[in-house]
Amino acid sequence: MDAMDMEACASVEKELDRVVTKLEHLHKNASAEIGDIASLMSELVNVLGMAEQMVVTTLNTGTQMNAPGTGSPDDPMGENVNMQVETEPAAPQRLTDRQMDIIRDSIVKCNERVQKLSSEHRDLHGSVSKIGKAIDRNFSADFTSTMRVDALQDEDNLMLLNKAIAKHYCRQGMDDVARTLIKECKMSEEHAQDVFDSEREFAEIYNIWMQIQKRDLSEALKWAERHSGQLREGHSIVEFQLHRMRLFQLVSNGMVSQDEAIAYARTYVKNFPAKEIGYLMLSLIYVPVGLENTRYKHFLSQEMWTELSFIFLREACELLGISKNSALSVVVNAGCTALPALLNIKQVMQSRKVLGMWNGCDELPIEIDLPPEFRFHSIFACPILRQQTTEDNPPKKLTCGHVISNDALHKLSNGHILKCPYCPVEQNAEEAVRIYF
Amino acid sequence: MSEIKALEHATLKVPYEILNKRFRSAQKIIDREVDQVMNVSRQVEKALSAPQSPILSDVTKLMGNVAQKLQVLKRKADESITDELSVTQICKRKLEHLKGIVPPNRSDGEAWEGSVEQWKRIRLDRLVIEHLLRMGYYETAEELAARSDVRHLTNLDVFQTSREVEDDLAQNSTTKCVLWCIDNKSKLRKINSTLEFSLRVQEFIELVRQNKRFEAVQHSRRYFPAYEKTQLNEICHVMALLAYPTDTDMDHCRKYMDPKRWDKLVLDFRHENYRLYQLSSTSVFSAAIQAGLSALKTPQCYSQTCHNLNCPVCQDDLNRIALKLPYSHCVQSRLICRVTGLPLNEHNQPMMLPNGQIFGQLALPEITKDDGTVTCPVTNVKFSNPKIDKVFVM
Repeated sequence: MDAMDMEACASVEKELDRVVTKLEHLHKNASAEIGDIASLMSELVNVLGMAEQMVVTTLNTGTQMNAPGTGSPDDPMGENVNMQVETEPAAPQRLTDRQMDIIRDSIVKCNERVQKLSSEHRDLHGSVSKIGKAIDRNFSADFTSTMRVDALQDEDNLMLLNKAIAKHYCRQGMDDVARTLIKECKMSEEHAQDVFDSEREFAEIYNIWMQIQKRDLSEALKWAERHSGQLREGHSIVEFQLHRMRLFQLVSNGMVSQDEAIAYARTYVKNFPAKEIGYLMLSLIYVPVGLENTRYKHFLSQEMWTELSFIFLREACELLGISKNSALSVVVNAGCTALPALLNIKQVMQSRKVLGMWNGCDELPIEIDLPPEFRFHSIFACPILRQQTTEDNPPKKLTCGHVISNDALHKLSNGHILKCPYCPVEQNAEEAVRIYF
Repeated sequence: MSEIKALEHATLKVPYEILNKRFRSAQKIIDREVDQVMNVSRQVEKALSAPQSPILSDVTKLMGNVAQKLQVLKRKADESITDELSVTQICKRKLEHLKGIVPPNRSDGEAWEGSVEQWKRIRLDRLVIEHLLRMGYYETAEELAARSDVRHLTNLDVFQTSREVEDDLAQNSTTKCVLWCIDNKSKLRKINSTLEFSLRVQEFIELVRQNKRFEAVQHSRRYFPAYEKTQLNEICHVMALLAYPTDTDMDHCRKYMDPKRWDKLVLDFRHENYRLYQLSSTSVFSAAIQAGLSALKTPQCYSQTCHNLNCPVCQDDLNRIALKLPYSHCVQSRLICRVTGLPLNEHNQPMMLPNGQIFGQLALPEITKDDGTVTCPVTNVKFSNPKIDKVFVM
């Protein structure tokens, strides 16, 4: 992540935070204000209700039991009614001017408040859409034209991709995810079998790899013993390193493991290179005090365990002839590096109206700067023509040892005579040999 | 352009679109409740402005209405705004994740490497999940999200609705999809979607299929006039179905009666759903896969003798996917020894065997036996005490 990413995230975040602050403000204020007016209203209703109640009660307890609404006689009950205003004696009871004023006031207030809520919320619209604009401005939305052909429109290729995904998760021990995918995409038996077959071996190694990181060597040692012959044939050091780590692990356990450490050394010492034996056995001196403060200290750090786990992973994969990386993750990570560059060049080509140039060739328009661990093959670019060599235009070694492409060789030679572009040697062009990287 | 700017548009845009939708529906709800309050309060005002002063009990009742509506408004406004706030939290969490790749403190370089690795792993999981969702592999997507604990960083919830709609369509029912169209009506109109029309046509076709021709006519009267302006041609074609038996051989009728039309509706729906959330029609995952394959693809990946175990493009499946993709571009030679995997440079000079095969100086001891025989690891040809030439690559 670089500064531009930071800036992009920050500008979206700024707009987002603005909306959050406003929403929170509105939330607090609106509920308070609407709550206020609502309780004021309820109070008014109560008061009115009580006023009414009084009338009814008075009427009911009065000497003349006339039902309200049938034109009851005068009834002087107004004094003690809560509205502090004299109520009209006639029934049905009517509101006094004062009551009407109070109600009018509160209604006006109520209208004001609710409209304010609505308009304040509406005012947020601008801020909300600013988030969207910030996202559109800072992030790119369209990948459709980064590729000349879309290989993933093809059903067969999509199924192959499903297979690659299933393999990837199989490798990481998520067999259940792989199985669900196989079921859901209706992958053929044959493909599904291939997924599990190819990754079964790796799954075991992956397990051991994780165990080593957790400082458990038992499975790793068993594995090394099983493949001991092949490992030694390939001059692998992993077996020795595993045994060495185990020995130090026993030694660092202290006195309780002393006998075990000695017995271990006796059993496996034959596996160690002669020059290392003395150094390793010396560690036994420190059994009583532990290895923490000795020259062996660094063997016990977590980095050594991590390092060991990766050495194991590399050597084991090499031995079994399988890739140590998940193909899917290598491809996707390489793609994530390539896409920004491709989007950039697309913009440039579009602005210069030369997008068509892309379509003509079967190479990407630019070189993608991938990290060295993503380089798997040699590529020879002719230093004269600045082109990659191909089957039709292979690299050739001149007699002086310099390498140029076949096309360049023909262009530079005069009849059979060729002067090397890099050194003073004149030579016969026929003597250049095809080489293979 | 940098990776996050180039790749993470959808990560932020989808929750933004949800926020925008929630905002609009909140506004609608608030406006409706405000209207309700205003309505009853207007009644009170009207009662008050009558020539004769109003009856106490009537006004009490009206005021009671106002109070009640106010309570409803308060509750609904509360709910809506809380809803909006919860979506902003989703946006926020995703932003935090995107920013999470920044080294928290520069001194701890090694731990940072680890966290970048971890971040990339999560990114891969996120991209795969998005791809799975687009392919309609919902169960796998759910399972993966749960296993790698990235649910909060994905758009699974948006796709949950689309899953329900798709399942419904797969069972030849339009109900949920029609509801979805109504739910997103204004937005769909903005992007000129014809999905709802296609659904109405399908409903019509089904009625014809069941020989309920009278109902079909009723259905057409009810729904088709709205599309008269834009879809007249299509409507004519569809109406023609009424004139033919359901098992007709007429080409254009068969096209409509084909049950595969349902599958097409699923795809149409998916497409409209992407457009609604402004997702591009290609997923980041598929773009990244193709760009990655291209960036890694070399002519050697397609030659029998040059396979590299660790090269993804050399593996069967990916090799076939990459077949039509462009090769990587390279103006500067980049040579790697096929034995040691180490780069060829001044510390590891390229050397040529008599058969033209080039290996690094450091690899020579590995392929040379004690008696001086050299075995070419590519062709398996043996040379006894061969002349090995230095090669100069500019």
